[in-house]
Amino acid sequence: MVQLAPADILPPPGAGRSSRLVSAFADRYFKWLMIAPAAILILALSIYPLLFSLWVNFVNYDFQIPGHDFVGLQNFLQVIQDPLASSALVLTILLSLTVVAIEFVLGLALALAMVRTFRGRGIVMSLLVMPLFISPVIVGQSWALFLQRPFGPADYLLGQLVGHPVNISWVGEVPWVYIAIVIADVWQWTPFMFVILLAGLAAIPQHLYEAAELDGIGGLQTFVHITLPQLAPIITLALTFRLLDAVKLFDIIFMLTGGGPGTATYTASFYLYQIGFQQFHLSIATAGSWIFLILLSVVIMVLVRRLLRVEAA
Amino acid sequence: MMNEREWRDFNAGLSDEVDSWLRGDTSRRTFLTRLMLMGGAAMLPGLGFTAAGSKAWAQAVDVSKVELADPSTPLGEAQAAAVKASSEGPKEGSAYRAVQAAQAYKAKNITLNLTYEAGLQALEPKNFSGPLWQTLTGINFNVVELPHPDQYSKPIAEHIADSGAYDVLDIEPAWIPALANGGVILPIDDYVTKYMNKADLDDYHPLYKSITLYKGKRWGVFDDGDQFALYYRKDVFEDEKLKSAYQAKFGKPFGLPKTWDEYSQVAQFITDQLAPNVYGAAHFRKFGSPGNQFSFLQQFRANGGKFFDADMKAQLTTDAGVTTLDQMIAQNKASIPGNNDLDAVAQWAAWLQGKVAMIFSWPPTGRISSNYAQRDKAINFIPQSSIADKVGYAVLPGGNGEMASGYVRALAAGSNNEEAAYLFMQWVSAPPLSLVRTMLPYTLRDPYRLSTYKSEQYRALWPAAKDYLINLCECSNNAVVDMIMPGWQDYALSIDRMCTAVWGGEDPKSALQKASAEWDSTTQRLGVAAQKAAYQEFLQIPGSYADHTIEKVGQAVHIT
Repeated sequence: MVQLAPADILPPPGAGRSSRLVSAFADRYFKWLMIAPAAILILALSIYPLLFSLWVNFVNYDFQIPGHDFVGLQNFLQVIQDPLASSALVLTILLSLTVVAIEFVLGLALALAMVRTFRGRGIVMSLLVMPLFISPVIVGQSWALFLQRPFGPADYLLGQLVGHPVNISWVGEVPWVYIAIVIADVWQWTPFMFVILLAGLAAIPQHLYEAAELDGIGGLQTFVHITLPQLAPIITLALTFRLLDAVKLFDIIFMLTGGGPGTATYTASFYLYQIGFQQFHLSIATAGSWIFLILLSVVIMVLVRRLLRVEAA
Repeated sequence: MMNEREWRDFNAGLSDEVDSWLRGDTSRRTFLTRLMLMGGAAMLPGLGFTAAGSKAWAQAVDVSKVELADPSTPLGEAQAAAVKASSEGPKEGSAYRAVQAAQAYKAKNITLNLTYEAGLQALEPKNFSGPLWQTLTGINFNVVELPHPDQYSKPIAEHIADSGAYDVLDIEPAWIPALANGGVILPIDDYVTKYMNKADLDDYHPLYKSITLYKGKRWGVFDDGDQFALYYRKDVFEDEKLKSAYQAKFGKPFGLPKTWDEYSQVAQFITDQLAPNVYGAAHFRKFGSPGNQFSFLQQFRANGGKFFDADMKAQLTTDAGVTTLDQMIAQNKASIPGNNDLDAVAQWAAWLQGKVAMIFSWPPTGRISSNYAQRDKAINFIPQSSIADKVGYAVLPGGNGEMASGYVRALAAGSNNEEAAYLFMQWVSAPPLSLVRTMLPYTLRDPYRLSTYKSEQYRALWPAAKDYLINLCECSNNAVVDMIMPGWQDYALSIDRMCTAVWGGEDPKSALQKASAEWDSTTQRLGVAAQKAAYQEFLQIPGSYADHTIEKVGQAVHIT
């Protein structure tokens, strides 16, 4: 065994000092170095565009009009005064509430049916959640192919069902377009409600149901007094998530109706897309986006507060 | 092994096949055959054909990467002539001049980024003009496939981002004012003066000669004669029983409609007599389909409508507007069920299956009706025509068919290879190349040159090809063009919304009023004075209105 002299294992006094300095520097700043790429990325991709869009709100930023003159609140006024913007907003609210309500009811029914084990449950569950994994654009296109006359089979199948020819314009006439949109959206997103609610149901302590059974409480009362209160936080969560997603409804509209007939199925997102990326009135679209963001923020705040209250309780 | 071209065709065909299969208009056997091909292609060497080796004329130029037809066919002859014109001359020809000038870039290893509409439009530069240009000049090419609306929006987005992503743009003539004002495209006058043979410029049908001019400058080379024409079933119109029944009902002979009111009447009569086997007509009037705007604008002008008054107030809510929408509603009623949900391809499918007696559409209708197009595997997903020998060609009722869209090859501002890009544009649209590209079976490029209309090779493609070309030329003589003005996208969107709203049950007058309000808003936003000046310029273009067509200004060309 080799014996090391103290001079071999101890650093010289000067070297130790500088090493400590480096170490101290690293301790103090290395963390900033590590998060710098992420911070730069966020600044470049989120903060800068956000600030840029703030500026665009107040200038003319239209591809066909040269220059970027300051226009004050003109862009906001254009959106507010555009009847199409308000009708798109109303439709967004109505459609969102409708689809989320239907998806909730269906999702809850499915979750209640699937919470107990039975033979083939795994396969049925896999089939039920499958629409979740399909891109909304594909969902929209698939429903368009199914519903669109004269080659889509929907009218033919309905005709076979009712015993006489059916000629419904699912993508060209009110109210059928709304029904088509709701069907497509519900088909895709009911599984989302189902999965979340099923997880909530599975987490309810079994002893509560056993106690209810011992007390001779009926099924409906058990549902009202045990299942629903226990599930409430999860229901709020599911409704919040789904509602936030539903107000962005775009893909299915884009593929299925193109906003038509006329502008009957323009949602807020579709309206902004048309104005911004098809007509290139970027400043108007930006102002519209901000208005939409502010309105949506109010809804988000109410829902989040509700969520926090439920959690605290 | 499949060669590169066959793989491209196969993949393009496969996705279309899936779509068609889902629509139920192609056989599952075909679809499955393609899937089998995909799996087995690697084990089956020698699939397809290679063009090189058997072409004596091609010895001077290595064309092994170019898709070429049998040299004994009309298409093969035209291709041989195109290669010869590019490599040997005549020396004053635009094709030869472009290739010679492009030799300066041979060693520079540059790549031209060319936008094309995704799908069949893009097959042509991938299979023919791109590889041939590369062979002739050493300049690489990259075809950027974009859906049609993105051909407008993507170049704008890239221009705003100053990316220099594109060199040559495929754009609608009606987009020129907006793109020129926005600085997205460059004028090419200096290059034309320097390189183009003026005789080749004069070879354009007069309608297409002035269509690329704006503010006194030329903004591209015209490259696709999208002229609407009427295609009809001769067997239906020659049916003796129908003739006598029509005579008895209306007191006049049964024949091709000369006015839009007659068109509805004849279509309804045929539907009443022959449905569900044959319906009077079919139109592509689905939301977002350009069929709505083209139909409305051509009929509105045939009915005497004007777009704006002297103060640039929209003139849609007029007798001409109401009459046009009423006529279109009557057409929808007389047509195949689901008419308002059809896009252009679905309309063709109904036509080729023999379900309708009349359609008006773009020129590929003639080629697919005769089964000429379907011989190529790239397009054989389209149903075979069951009416190949029964199709007649005519000008539209009212006389003024829309030159509906078309394509101009434009020079992208910000191109890193501006001159090379221009030279490609000149070469690809030169008469010998233009002829070939409009003759390719799978092409969606349509004739626009007088030399093409007169071409013996084109006329030999199918028995009635000569009549087809003559009719296209006649239609262009009286054609009306799209509104070539800034804001066209917005004005056209309003028309589409208006039409689909009416198909959905809205009162025509109310829909017209809404569209007029939208038009006024667009005009206000772009500036009334600026729009007035642009409209005055538009009025100068032959084809702006029914009383100012090529025929009316005395420039008509009648070929035999």
